[in-house]
Amino acid sequence: MSEAKKSLLVIGAGIAGITAALEAAETGAEVVLIEREATIGGRVLRLNNYFPKMCPPSCGMEINIRRLERNPRIRVLTRSKVTAAETGDGGWSVEITTEPAWVKANCTACGDCESACTTEIDDPHNLGMSKTKAIRLPHPSAWPKIYTFDRAAVSDDEAKKIAEACTYDAVDLDAQETTQTLEFGAVVVATGWKPYPLEKLEELGGDLDDVVANVQMERMASASGPTGGVIRKPSNGEAPARVAFVQCAGSRDVNHLNYCSGVCCLASLKQARYVKEQLPDAEVTMYYIDRRTPGRNEDFLLGSAELEGVTLTKGKVGRIEKSNGGLKLHVEDVENEVILEAEADLVVLATGMVPNAVDDDLAVFTRKDDDGFVLDDLEAGVTVAGVARRPEDVAASVRDATGAAARAMVAAGRRA
Amino acid sequence: MASIPVLHTSSEFREEFFDRGGENAARCYQCATCSSVCELAPANAPFPRRQILWAQWGLEDRLVSDAGPWLCYQCNDCSVRCPREVNPGDVMASIRAMVVEKLATPAFLGKLVGNVKKTWPLLVLGPLVYWLILLGATGIHIPGIDPELGALDGRFHYEHFVPHILIYFTYFAATFFALFTMWSSGRRFWKMLGTSQARTGSFFGALIGAFFDIATHKKFRSCDRGVFKRKWGHFLVMWGFVGAAITSGFAVVYLYRETVFFSWLNLQYSYPMPITHWVKWLGNISAVALVVGGLLLWLNRRNPGDKLVGVTTPFDRFFLWVVLTVIATGVLTELFRFIAAPPVLACAVYVIHLAIVLTLFLTLPYSKFAHILYRTLAMTHERLTAENG
Repeated sequence: MSEAKKSLLVIGAGIAGITAALEAAETGAEVVLIEREATIGGRVLRLNNYFPKMCPPSCGMEINIRRLERNPRIRVLTRSKVTAAETGDGGWSVEITTEPAWVKANCTACGDCESACTTEIDDPHNLGMSKTKAIRLPHPSAWPKIYTFDRAAVSDDEAKKIAEACTYDAVDLDAQETTQTLEFGAVVVATGWKPYPLEKLEELGGDLDDVVANVQMERMASASGPTGGVIRKPSNGEAPARVAFVQCAGSRDVNHLNYCSGVCCLASLKQARYVKEQLPDAEVTMYYIDRRTPGRNEDFLLGSAELEGVTLTKGKVGRIEKSNGGLKLHVEDVENEVILEAEADLVVLATGMVPNAVDDDLAVFTRKDDDGFVLDDLEAGVTVAGVARRPEDVAASVRDATGAAARAMVAAGRRA
Repeated sequence: MASIPVLHTSSEFREEFFDRGGENAARCYQCATCSSVCELAPANAPFPRRQILWAQWGLEDRLVSDAGPWLCYQCNDCSVRCPREVNPGDVMASIRAMVVEKLATPAFLGKLVGNVKKTWPLLVLGPLVYWLILLGATGIHIPGIDPELGALDGRFHYEHFVPHILIYFTYFAATFFALFTMWSSGRRFWKMLGTSQARTGSFFGALIGAFFDIATHKKFRSCDRGVFKRKWGHFLVMWGFVGAAITSGFAVVYLYRETVFFSWLNLQYSYPMPITHWVKWLGNISAVALVVGGLLLWLNRRNPGDKLVGVTTPFDRFFLWVVLTVIATGVLTELFRFIAAPPVLACAVYVIHLAIVLTLFLTLPYSKFAHILYRTLAMTHERLTAENG
C-alpha cells in the first residue's frame, strides 16, 4: 500500500475544510489542503460574530491556525484550484493549479508596497463595500500573513514601482502559474458557498443603496469592515432609525433557491442584536415566514425577541421600493390579517447560501443533488463537509467536517 | 370568558375544490407573498393568502361569505411571485366557481352547471331540443322554401320562421327565472358578507361607485401587467353585451310603437328599421365590440403555460364558448339576411343562436356569468367596509 494512496486532499480552506484537514492530520493522515483565495478562513472570517455565543470567529481561527502550523502532515496550498481530476486504480489523481506567487513567502507585511500602490480595487474581503489597494494584506487575520497582489489590476509601470518599493525583494513580477499532479486516497470536498446575489432580488430592492444582504451586514458590523464596525445607511452614512430584516429573501422559493438555508433566521436575530447594541433607540423588525431556530437556538430567538424595540412580524415581504427618502415594504401581517406598508431606513435581506459547486463540474463532484449540493460517494472516495454538502451553521460545519475526515480516511484505507 | 372559535371544516368541499382546479392550494405554506404583491387587496381584508388557507381546511362558510375572491381580477401577479407555485390567481378563480355553486338557487342547478365538465352536452343541447320541439309543434316555416310564405321579396324575415310570441314567451320566462334566482342568491350573499365584516354608509351610494368602477374598468387598470388583451377583451365584451341588450329593448319598443304602451312615444319608421337607424348603429357597433372583445379573450387563453394567463378550467371554457357562440351565431344571423344565404342555413344558425342564448340565460346565475352579481355586490361591500377593521 503506497503512502500517497492513503493521503487526503481537502478542497477548500473554510471552517469545514480546515477542520477536516486538521482532524485527519491529527489522526495520522497526510493531507493537502487547497484554497483558491490567498488566505484561509473563507466565509467565517467575513462574519462579525457567531450565534449564539456572539463571539468573533477570529479566536477560533487562531486556535486552528496554531494547530495547522504545528502539524507537519498538512500542506496548505493557497491561490490553488483543482483543474483536473481522475479516479481509478484505487485513488484520485488530481491536477492542482496555483496562481502566480506575485508576493513571495519572505514578505514581512511591512506595507511599503501598499504605499507605492495607487490603484484601488473593490475589496473582496468586504464584499465590494469598500476599496482597497491592489496590493494589500487581505485582512487582519490573514494566514499566511503575506501580502496579496491583484497584478491584473495595475499597469506594468505601477507594478514595477510596487516591486521596487519592497526592501525584501518579495514582489516577483516574473512569477508563473504552476501546475502539479498529486495522488490521493480520498478527497474531502469542502468547497463552501456564496451568498445568493442581490441582483436577482430586484422586487425586494436588491438594487437600492439602503438594501443590503445579511453577509454585508456582517461586514458592516465588523471592526475590520468597511465602516469600522459602524452600522449606517450606505446611501448617506446616517444611522438608521428603523431597520427591517426580510427573511427568506430568495429562499424557499421555486423562483430562486428552493430550499431553506437554515441559518438566516438566527443570523438576522444576531444582527438585530448588533443594531440594538449600537443604536438602542432603533426600531428593529424582522419579517418572517417561519422562525427556524432549531434546538437550543430557540433560547437565542426568545432572548432576541425580548429586546425592547425588536418586533417579529409573521409575513413575507413581497415588494420593497423607495418612498420619501426611506424604503417602503409591502407585507401582510399574517397574525393580524392586515397589509402593512411598513417603512424602514435600512433593510437587510436574509439571503441564503448557494453551494459553490452548483456551477462547477469537477470530476470529484461525483454526486450532486438538484440544488448543487455535493453528496458523499464513499465508493469513489469522496466525502463532503460543510455547506458544500448542505446549508448549515459554523458549529454544524465543524461537526460535519470531523465526520467527513473520518469517512475519507476509511475510504482511503479501503481503496488502497 | 372568551369563546373558542369553532371551525366547520369540510373534507368534501376540499376534495371537490381540489378537483375543480384548486389542487395547487395544498402546496401553500402561508408566506403571504401573494397578499403583499396584490394591487387590489384591501389593507384590512387582504387576499388571497387567507382564502387559500380556508380552502386547504375546507372552510366553506368563510369562503362563501367573503368578498375577497370577488375583488380579485386575476391579474396573476401573485401566481408569478408565489414561491410554491400555488398559482393563487387560479385558486381564487376556483373558489369563485365553488361559491357560485354553493350559493345557487335552487342548489341542484348550481351543481349541474358547476359540474359542467360532464354536463355540458345537456346544457347546450337542452335548449336546442326545446326550440326544435317548440318549432316542430307550431310548424316549421322556412322563408323562401315554404310555399305558403311565397317567394323572398329581397328581405329575409326571421319572424316567419320563429314567431315573436315564442321568443317573448321563452326569453321573458328565462329572464325572470335568472333575475329571481340571482336576486335570491344575491340576497344571501349580501347578508353573509355583512356577517363577515361590519358595513357603514349608504348602499346606493356605494353601488353607484361600484358601477362606475365597473363601467370604466378602473380596477383592471391597476391590475393589468403582462396580459394587455384581458382588460380590453373584457371591456369590449361587457359594453358589447350592454349595447346588445339596449338594442333588443329598443327593437321591442319599435316593434310595438303603435300599441297603447308605446304610442305616446310617437316613434316613426316601419319595421324592420332601416340600417341607418341609430338603433341599428348601436346594435352593429355592439356586435363589432363583441367580436373584437371575444377574439381578444379567446386569444388571451391561447398561452396556457404562462403564469400570467393562468389555467383554463372547464367552468371557464364553458362560459367562454357560450359567449363566443352567442356572438358568432348572432353576427352570422344578421349577415345571412343581407347576403341572401341559403334559407335553411340561415334558419339553422338562427335556431342555434336562439338555443345558445337560452343556455346563456338559464345558466347565467350558475356559470361564470354570475360574477356580474357577486362582483358588483362585493365591490359595493368593499366600499362600505373600507374604513372598518
